[in-house]
Amino acid sequence: MELTIEKVEKDSSVVLYLKGILDITTTKQIDPYLEEISSRMESLTFDFSELELMDSTGIGSIMNAIHMSQEKQFQVKFQGVNELTHEVFEMVGLYKVLEALKGEAI
Amino acid sequence: MFQDKLSVPHVSGKAMDQTLQREIKLARNIQSTLLNGQAPDFQGGKVSGTSMPARLIGGDYYDFYPLVNGKIRIVIGDVMGKGIPAAMLMILTRGAFRSAAQSTQNPGETLAAMNRALYKDLRALGSFVTLFCADWDPETFQLTYANAGHNPPLYLNGQKGVIETVPKVSGVMVGGLPDQSYEERAIVLEKNDMVFFYTDGIVEAQNDKGEQYQLERLMSTLTEYGEKGAEEIEREVMGSIRAFTEEVPQKDDITMVLLKINADQSDITSLNSPLL
Repeated sequence: MELTIEKVEKDSSVVLYLKGILDITTTKQIDPYLEEISSRMESLTFDFSELELMDSTGIGSIMNAIHMSQEKQFQVKFQGVNELTHEVFEMVGLYKVLEALKGEAI
Repeated sequence: MFQDKLSVPHVSGKAMDQTLQREIKLARNIQSTLLNGQAPDFQGGKVSGTSMPARLIGGDYYDFYPLVNGKIRIVIGDVMGKGIPAAMLMILTRGAFRSAAQSTQNPGETLAAMNRALYKDLRALGSFVTLFCADWDPETFQLTYANAGHNPPLYLNGQKGVIETVPKVSGVMVGGLPDQSYEERAIVLEKNDMVFFYTDGIVEAQNDKGEQYQLERLMSTLTEYGEKGAEEIEREVMGSIRAFTEEVPQKDDITMVLLKINADQSDITSLNSPLL
């Protein structure tokens, strides 16, 4: 089971396209991308459209990125959230975390 | 004995493996003992729980706390992650629940107090816990509940044979945001009704083809065996999951708590109830 992350950077925005499985075995792959985010960056978008599965550690990574956005002053956005992932995000309250910390779900 | 980062004991690889194995077994015993404590008895029904970790130890949690007003506070939860790290946080969660249950008036307050107690530690560790907390009142047959990001329990109407999720109540996972409040809802149970609390390891249990057990199969099993007692239903659900997965090792812990009502009158008669 693998996770591939494709990074597309344009101006002051970064989009991370997550493909495959975001679980306990792959979730650490996100960390280097988060560490790279500089103070000039305005937004980080997670694209979930090709994500096949996400477990609780995957949700934890996304939540950590949202909290990091407070410290580094950028905005986290979600795009390509499928129905199943949407239900999970809603159930655990991730959208409320995003909203409270000034992020955005597209 | 405390050791700093520089004073690493000199042990061989084999000795280290044996030590680790022994300590993991001890940790498993500790967790199993703390998790599978005696459930409170009350006349007219039964509350019961069981948990099966995917690895030697796990991050699922359930607990019962008899309150001085005669109610029983029930909690079920799922710590982010798996194995030893999740198990350590599960023990932390248990301590927070026991403390909060004693000092709060209702399940929403309990979750808020737990979030206050755990938030900073969970954020520092980049973790979270989903929890569902409910107060069962054997006098009024009312179940009042609040939710911190956990999947909602199933409610089986014993007379109609209809199963559905309990009316939705939402709240942020513990460790997600500081200073959270948790709304509550309540349902009134009747004779032969059942409420089934569970963690997602049940519906996501997989067979060797990668197919999941799923909610529909769980609902069907509960409907089929809903007339039986709580512990029998537990065994039937576990049996159904084992038959489906054909003993394929699972990725996630499996935990369930059942509240089964049998009669009109009920009373807490035991156990860990705090002394007045």
